[in-house]
Amino acid sequence: MASKRHIKEKKNRDLAIPTDSFSDIAFLLIIYFILATTLTRVRSITADLPSGEKASQAQPDKTSIVNLRGSEIFFNDKKTSMEELNERLAALKLGELDGSKRVIMLESSRGTPYDNYFQALAAISANDGVVAIVQGEDK
Amino acid sequence: MGDIAFLLIIFFLVCSEASKDKSDLAVDLPYSEHVQKQKTTVVARVALDQAGQIYFDGIKVDNAKEVEGGVRTLLTNTVADEQRHVQFKCDKSQPKEKFEPILQAIAEAGGIIEAVGEKSEK
Repeated sequence: MASKRHIKEKKNRDLAIPTDSFSDIAFLLIIYFILATTLTRVRSITADLPSGEKASQAQPDKTSIVNLRGSEIFFNDKKTSMEELNERLAALKLGELDGSKRVIMLESSRGTPYDNYFQALAAISANDGVVAIVQGEDK
Repeated sequence: MGDIAFLLIIFFLVCSEASKDKSDLAVDLPYSEHVQKQKTTVVARVALDQAGQIYFDGIKVDNAKEVEGGVRTLLTNTVADEQRHVQFKCDKSQPKEKFEPILQAIAEAGGIIEAVGEKSEK
């Protein structure tokens, strides 16, 4: 009787799943996730460019316009620097306005490097402006 | 020990975002004092490298139209603004003719542009 019980217990023991290697597998998975995960966040600016139908004519009468001509910057047709552009955009207090009044048109000439464009885009976005890209005829 | 290890795995599974970014891209980022670390999750990554090659989620594409199609597909049925962010990484030397069509393509597809740059001192 005792030996029968012993055999039964042994059978049950044999059916158990071996869990000794589980921690090894788990650590291998951890190493995989550590290597595959992106923990660094990149720095960026958020620019919400309105999409819609292309206007046949620009409406520059009330809307401010930033022109990039090579390395030169113009704000409402007056030559300016990036620092000055920041100050002038801040003075407009775009954050307090609503809808279309926050739109700043951004026009650039052929060959304008992304470096300048990015700085203008960043300045407008930082001052709560909505960027509207003006497509030139030199396309 | 095994329990702790599995808890760590669950933590990484929940918190991680698998990298779709091609870190070996030859992109010299522009500088601005306004850039800041964003907390938003991007739905797609678009890049324009020094050679003028366009990448959409790490895969080479031929033109801005393909970017527009890709973003549009990803943003189908998307309503919330938080789910419309598209990362744009561009080499600072690229001319307007190269990057502007891509920016317009993202905007046309309904994406909010997250233009990546480096922080510069005032």
